[in-house]
Amino acid sequence: MEKDESQFKDELQFTVLEPDKKFGLYFQGKFLYWDLRFDRPLIFLHRAKRRISSFLNVVCFLAGIAGLFSSAAWVYLNLAKIAADGTVGLFFWRQPSPLVLSFAVSLFFDMFLVYRLSEQRAGRDRLKRFAAKKSALRRRSAAAVQVPSLDISRAFSDETREILDDAYLEAVKFKQPEITPLHLFWALFKNKKIRLIFVRLNINQRSLLEKLARHLNEGSGAAPTGLGLSADTQKIMMEAYLDAYSSEQKAVDPYNIILYCFRASAILGEILYDEEVTDNKIVNSVAWMRTNEKIVANYKIYRKMARLKPGTSMNRAYTALATPTLDHFSRDLTLMAKYGYFEICLARDKEIKAVFEALESGRSGVLLVGPVGVGKTTIIQGVAQLMVKEEVPKFLEDKRLVEVDVARLIGGTTPAEAQDRLLTIINESVRARNVILYLKNLETVVGISSGAAGSLDLSEVLADAVSRRLIICLATATNENYTKYIEKRPLGNAFMAVSVAEPDNDQAIQILESKAGYFEGRYGIFFDYNAIEQAVNLSGHYITDEYLPAKAVNILQLAAVKAGQACKDDPHKCFCTCDDISRVISEKTGIPVDKVSASETQKLLNLESDIHRRMIGQEEAVDAISGSLRRARAEMRENKRPIASFLFLGPTGVGKTELAKSVAEVYFGDENCMIRLDMSEYQLADSVTKMIGGAQTPGYLTEAVRQKPFSLVLLDEIEKAHPDVLNLFLQMMDDGRLTDGQGRTINFTNSIIVATSNAGALYIEEAVGQGTDINIIKQELIDNQLNKIMRPELINRFDGIIVFKPLAFDDVVAITKLMLAKIAQSLEDKGIGFSPTEDGIKRLAQLGYDPKFGARPLRRLLQDKIENEIANFVLSGQLKRRDTIIINENGEIEVVRGRKL
Amino acid sequence: MNQNNFLVCLPKILLDFLWDLIYAPFWWYSTGLFRLLKSLAVFLRDRQINLGIAVWVKNIFTPMYGQRDFISRLISFVIRLLQIFVRGLGLLFWLILCLAAAVLWLVLPIFAFYILVYQLVL
Repeated sequence: MEKDESQFKDELQFTVLEPDKKFGLYFQGKFLYWDLRFDRPLIFLHRAKRRISSFLNVVCFLAGIAGLFSSAAWVYLNLAKIAADGTVGLFFWRQPSPLVLSFAVSLFFDMFLVYRLSEQRAGRDRLKRFAAKKSALRRRSAAAVQVPSLDISRAFSDETREILDDAYLEAVKFKQPEITPLHLFWALFKNKKIRLIFVRLNINQRSLLEKLARHLNEGSGAAPTGLGLSADTQKIMMEAYLDAYSSEQKAVDPYNIILYCFRASAILGEILYDEEVTDNKIVNSVAWMRTNEKIVANYKIYRKMARLKPGTSMNRAYTALATPTLDHFSRDLTLMAKYGYFEICLARDKEIKAVFEALESGRSGVLLVGPVGVGKTTIIQGVAQLMVKEEVPKFLEDKRLVEVDVARLIGGTTPAEAQDRLLTIINESVRARNVILYLKNLETVVGISSGAAGSLDLSEVLADAVSRRLIICLATATNENYTKYIEKRPLGNAFMAVSVAEPDNDQAIQILESKAGYFEGRYGIFFDYNAIEQAVNLSGHYITDEYLPAKAVNILQLAAVKAGQACKDDPHKCFCTCDDISRVISEKTGIPVDKVSASETQKLLNLESDIHRRMIGQEEAVDAISGSLRRARAEMRENKRPIASFLFLGPTGVGKTELAKSVAEVYFGDENCMIRLDMSEYQLADSVTKMIGGAQTPGYLTEAVRQKPFSLVLLDEIEKAHPDVLNLFLQMMDDGRLTDGQGRTINFTNSIIVATSNAGALYIEEAVGQGTDINIIKQELIDNQLNKIMRPELINRFDGIIVFKPLAFDDVVAITKLMLAKIAQSLEDKGIGFSPTEDGIKRLAQLGYDPKFGARPLRRLLQDKIENEIANFVLSGQLKRRDTIIINENGEIEVVRGRKL
Repeated sequence: MNQNNFLVCLPKILLDFLWDLIYAPFWWYSTGLFRLLKSLAVFLRDRQINLGIAVWVKNIFTPMYGQRDFISRLISFVIRLLQIFVRGLGLLFWLILCLAAAVLWLVLPIFAFYILVYQLVL
């Protein structure tokens, strides 16, 4: 139910009404104020009164029972007399007997009990609605006009009043004269319903209560109002009253109070914020509780109406016909709905209304079109349930919704016979007049024809019947199948398409909340509200090839299964939280989505040092990339482009690819999260097809990114690509998406794009040799060198153009050490020591260093000189465990024998 | 109505209970009777929906099982009449029950009082 807050949005102006100094506010022409005084003796008196009241009810009830017993006893004792003379039983009161007397007395007790119960029941409806007064009396103060005032304390339910009494007693215990929001919260927290909200929010109750207890002896600081409620608390009461009023409740209940209580106290807000409870979460959790209550209430009405719906194919007016063929090839959905086989359909009122409107406007066929998993079948089930409740337009009343099983229809028979069957079904439905057909996946009837020229397709038979308004037919289809098989054909014209889109996040959360109960029961766990929100958010963000709500429901179920297993091992783990959801998504997509924990923050802050563990030199490049990545991880980037795109320029072998691999490992968790394309393979014009694919064949790049959206795309030697291919990248880096040959949109917004180029390598070497500043080099490259190989608009699209310097000798020495460390590692596994001398390392570096070729010759050198030699030694048996290998100052290997055991 | 004084309240609460006792008979024949009649009306309406008499009456001339030839229509009409009659009897049964309940409500206090007095006098 939509709350109409507009009527009092601007009216929350609290004032003091003279002459009685009542504190309150104006609302719809009345002055609302709180007039119930709190007083310890009074509270005890009220409690005593309540107890006496229920005691009295019990006494009356027992008296009634006693009366029944006494009348039964009288009958038993006088059985003989009654058997002899019937009038004795009829005029039983004429027999003098204490039993009859007690029976009469008990009748009075019974009547008194009926009176008391009836009045108590009626008394629960306390929130009287009143008409809005249009007069502008509101803001006038002073005694000029007598404004009718309303004491809102009468509108509070008994439960809420008891909570307030508790709060007052608590305040007294802490030597405070009046209830502050903290005391109120303390008392609210003892209430089961409220505590359930906080259980759902998965907070540490003990720590919350401890923190609260420390502040309970603080007063409001202002002068006592004399009523026992501080001014803040009175404000809360009034806000709660307005909340209940706008929701058309019968009385103000604890749910109304909790949110305003939270907002009223700064300390409370801080304490709860520490426990990660925000305003929004409380609102949503309360909404969850209320939705559950509504679902239960709705269900009761539903079951009542379901009893009236016929359990056969006949309608209540007995005007329908038997439909044997139809029954053979179909399922009766209204019957299934009557017996409760379907789950509730939530947040789809708009779509159902669209269906009804389409049917009311004279169309006989409605087709729900939407992606897989978006809820089309659920909407049809919702329609079936509404038909059971008879909350449908007139022309749908007292009818059956029947799902035609197309597989059975066309299975095991020729197309001609299938058409025959369909015609029979349609005829039966027309004559029966109480049948609405439903076909799932409408495209399955397309293309069933006997193939001879001029023969009818099965879909045309159906289309004919629907367009002639013979039957009402509902159907569903996915978007692709609709465009491919249905849209431009007779079937498409006969059916009116209603588009079913993904639900938005709030709706998806609602849908998940309704399914949460089932999972909780099945797996024996408890869902945290945050987990549900997280399931919707993360699956929406990271799982791109499935649709809400189905993907979120799947994630929720997977997490529930895991939590259920954990719960069996350890009863303290029966809670499914955000972390469980994150873990499930992480497993499914292969990317790290864990909450940015302390260790993760450290990792991001230390990106530079982490990357430098793998590669040497190129500080400027590493800094630029790290900055971009930190921005992306803190979600401070807009989501419409790739995470970052870089152009690496520099001579060969200086670490461009190595940096890309390091980034892939540090950011995505695995150096294999890299998609590598060698642009020299895409030099021809039709290479575009190779990259994005054609109508039948998938493209290399689009397919790779579709399957692994979270990876680094490395475009090697981009200057070699054909200009058409380069144009593709324009769109990719601007929009973050590419359309592949089959028309699918491939999402690049979770990738890092790195392009490398050797252009200007010679210039860079010269300039660095001359000691030119790196920024000047970069500018010169952009201005004069790059435009020879790329268009300016492509150069412009890169987030960063990184110039790689040729390696200095010290860098090469460090790289040599790194590579030797790897060799040392593999030798250590064999129990062989490895200790290269400093001179040896320098010698190797000298041999392997060539400014023109970077560090690549070094690798080859180490392979030849070191690894091959070691291999020879090992295989010939000259190298055994506990031996040590030394690299002497000539860069050659020497073996030092280990000690014999 | 300001509740502010313990001494005033205690006798007031006792007075409340006394008031209950005195008011009960008046309630029985006013508010109580009204509520009873309302709930009986709702009950009868539910029974009617259950029996579906309105549906049958609305469709009295509509042929059953969609058979529209003359004989079928005749048979249909007769059957519908019978159905309405039988279902009407069912509704009549409920109606009588409800009337009995209403009469019982009206008569019970008087009857109980009568028995009381009779027994005490005897």
